[in-house]
Amino acid sequence: MAIKPDLTTKFCGCELENPFLLSSAPPTCTGEMIQRAFKEGWGGAVTKTIKPDKTPVYDLKNRFGIMGLEDKQLVLFENIEEVSKRPVGTWIKEIKEIKKNFPDKLLIGSLMAEPKEEDWETLARTVSEAGVDMLELNLGCPHGMPERGMGAFCGQRPDLIEKLTKAAKKTSSVPVMVKLTPNVADIALMAKTAQDAGADATSAINTVLGLIGVDINTFEPKPTVDGKSTFGGMSGPAVKPIGMRCVAQIAQATNIPVSGIGGISTWKDAVEYLLIGAANVQVCTAVMWRGYRIVGDLVDGLANYLSDKGFKSVTEIQGKTLPKITAWSKLNKDYKVVASINKEKCIKCGVCFIDCNDAGYQAIKFEPNSNKAAEVDEEKCDACSLCTIACPVPGCISWKRVQ
Amino acid sequence: MSGRTHPIVVPPQDRIKGFEPYVPNLDDRTALYEATRCITCYEPPCKNACPTRINIPEFIHRIKSGNYYGAAKVIRESNVFGGECGYVCPVERLCEEKCVRNSLGEEPVAISLLQRFAYEKEKPKGLHKFALSKANNKRVAIVGAGPASLSAAYELARGGYNVTVCDSNKKPGGLMAYGILPWKAAWSVSESEIDNIIDYGVKLIQGKTITDGKALLNDYDAIFIGTGASKSVCMGIPGEELKGVCLAQEFLFDVAKYLKKEGKAPDLKGLRVAVVGGGDTATDASMAAVRLGAERVYIIYRRSLAEMPAVPYGRKQAKDEGVEFMLLTNPVKINGEKGAVQAIECVKMELGKPDASGRRSVTPIKGSEFKLDVDAVIIAIGQKPDDETLKSFGIKTEKGLIVADKENYATSVKGVFAAGDAVNGGETVVEAVAEGKKAAAAIDKYLRR
Repeated sequence: MAIKPDLTTKFCGCELENPFLLSSAPPTCTGEMIQRAFKEGWGGAVTKTIKPDKTPVYDLKNRFGIMGLEDKQLVLFENIEEVSKRPVGTWIKEIKEIKKNFPDKLLIGSLMAEPKEEDWETLARTVSEAGVDMLELNLGCPHGMPERGMGAFCGQRPDLIEKLTKAAKKTSSVPVMVKLTPNVADIALMAKTAQDAGADATSAINTVLGLIGVDINTFEPKPTVDGKSTFGGMSGPAVKPIGMRCVAQIAQATNIPVSGIGGISTWKDAVEYLLIGAANVQVCTAVMWRGYRIVGDLVDGLANYLSDKGFKSVTEIQGKTLPKITAWSKLNKDYKVVASINKEKCIKCGVCFIDCNDAGYQAIKFEPNSNKAAEVDEEKCDACSLCTIACPVPGCISWKRVQ
Repeated sequence: MSGRTHPIVVPPQDRIKGFEPYVPNLDDRTALYEATRCITCYEPPCKNACPTRINIPEFIHRIKSGNYYGAAKVIRESNVFGGECGYVCPVERLCEEKCVRNSLGEEPVAISLLQRFAYEKEKPKGLHKFALSKANNKRVAIVGAGPASLSAAYELARGGYNVTVCDSNKKPGGLMAYGILPWKAAWSVSESEIDNIIDYGVKLIQGKTITDGKALLNDYDAIFIGTGASKSVCMGIPGEELKGVCLAQEFLFDVAKYLKKEGKAPDLKGLRVAVVGGGDTATDASMAAVRLGAERVYIIYRRSLAEMPAVPYGRKQAKDEGVEFMLLTNPVKINGEKGAVQAIECVKMELGKPDASGRRSVTPIKGSEFKLDVDAVIIAIGQKPDDETLKSFGIKTEKGLIVADKENYATSVKGVFAAGDAVNGGETVVEAVAEGKKAAAAIDKYLRR
């Protein structure tokens, strides 16, 4: 029997039983919810963002939108929800209860306040003393809050990242993690700023600012609130490449751990994040879609993957791919291949032909209804790979090394 | 990879109570799903397999994008009976047989269901109309109002010709109106498409049989004959004259007329019926017999299932509805009592080597003769055109079929063209539409000289 791989990791001195955390979002709205998630097997959770009681928060009626495939295969999710409406006092009571019932789970308190040092100092002191294991500073929420000087408004300004991180660090009794927004030109700079200000870790990404769609019958933007809408935060499978890019850039630029977030729905997504250097992963949208129970497969799938690959511990794969992510100018320009079509596998659909003909190098020969397989003109093929990825038959088009 | 949509059909015990269609149409959601199964091949074999060359990936792409009316336009550009064909085409041996998904070991895209979907979306908005050429003064007479004739009439009317269609039935449509019963395609489908053709200025004269073809030649610049193959072929065995023996085409015609309230239903209530033949007409007749209350219905076919020309889907439908298949069985005599059918005598057959048609030949097994008690026999072994009309034109025929040039559809008489079942001996609606279209182009060329 295969040895069960070790899924535990360390994060800012805290022990994590598995690398799956619930991110600060609707699934961590209350203590009761977080406790149910812990029972299902989540390794940790970041509370929905706690803000000072004096800061008003509204929840618009109808605040989600999706972009999906038929049968609701989720591609992209949007929300224009604000942070937690609940008073700090309620959270303190509930944090204590969660930690009492689940002392070994990683509980992180998420915070947001106006960019005033004293507000952050107070909030960081109060919440850290309530018994959370860590704090996460929400400097990334891109909708609603920035209009009032909070969330991404702070995360887009290095001076505020520095000031607020320092303020939280000053009073917090636990490690402080800074959650960054991808809606910036240079996220590595933001992460370095947080590190230099004393942050113990970063987390990325918060949602990506977007506009999910317009109802072409009513002409109303989505999600519609009494006929109007605003730009919202995108999450779900389609933002994963953005999240991965950000996490890799942060991992390359800093030497504090980064918690990976963005489009993680399956254990495979988690493996990818871990390979590019994430210390652990945070999940939200996939849980909003199908519930806490998905953690069963996340944990089991990761364990099976590690054991299939011969790894004894999840820590062995962390950052394994990171050194292979480099600058475009450092890629090998002497590496040459051409596409090669397997005559037996070709189903003569002509998809490779039309793609190469209309968007490539006119390098594929194909006679419709001739029952002859498509063929690559190796002289013309520039190995752009369009045919390979468009071909509907797995393994039909492969690469041939040429001099 | 994901599987094909299979709509839940009305169960056999319920659907045989009437003649209504029982395969539900796709809704927006299932149509989108099925459309996404299309690979959107470039100049694909499905399109090539369609006699009318409908640009299948293009219309499916438009369903995918939600441009349903545009999808219907793509279909109608190639096939003026695109709706009817969506319902009646034997797609298992046309487009769907050639779908590249088959070579991936999967079921083909449900092209016919998507084609029906596009038609059903087109209908409430009004069928697509295409531009008419400037009217010329040339007159073309079309004999018959089946799919070949109406397809030719449409093309010629669009081309600016003055077109008159003459047909012997009460209503136009030929086989579509009298040979295909509503469970396959509701008559409203072909009716809407015929109305659309009439709208292009085609004049229709119904209930008139042409007896003097030569006189017609004097009045018109060209003539197209698309009279179809509406007469069934007899077996040539003793007892065919008995009461209770009927020919499948005529039988289906009578059923259609009854359903259109133009005549009485053939009375098969409680009877044992033998349908002889293995084509689509045989399966259709067997299912009609079931619906008319026959107690037992047999299909007697001299070869095995593998050689059966009827599409597998139709065979399955018949089987599900309780039709009993007696394969490798050939009737040799129909026995009667007091002039009425009493039994059918058959002999068991043995498969041999492939014959000229490519199907395995059969030979009788000596001593295997047996008698099956039946009250009625429906003969469905083939069709032929109506001789009378053809004779009056003095055109050359061979084995009862019109001899027409494969390229330009010209008959032996100058100015007379022919296509469809009357020439090919009995093919599909879609083949007739395609031939009518090509014949119209040939007539146009002839009249432009």
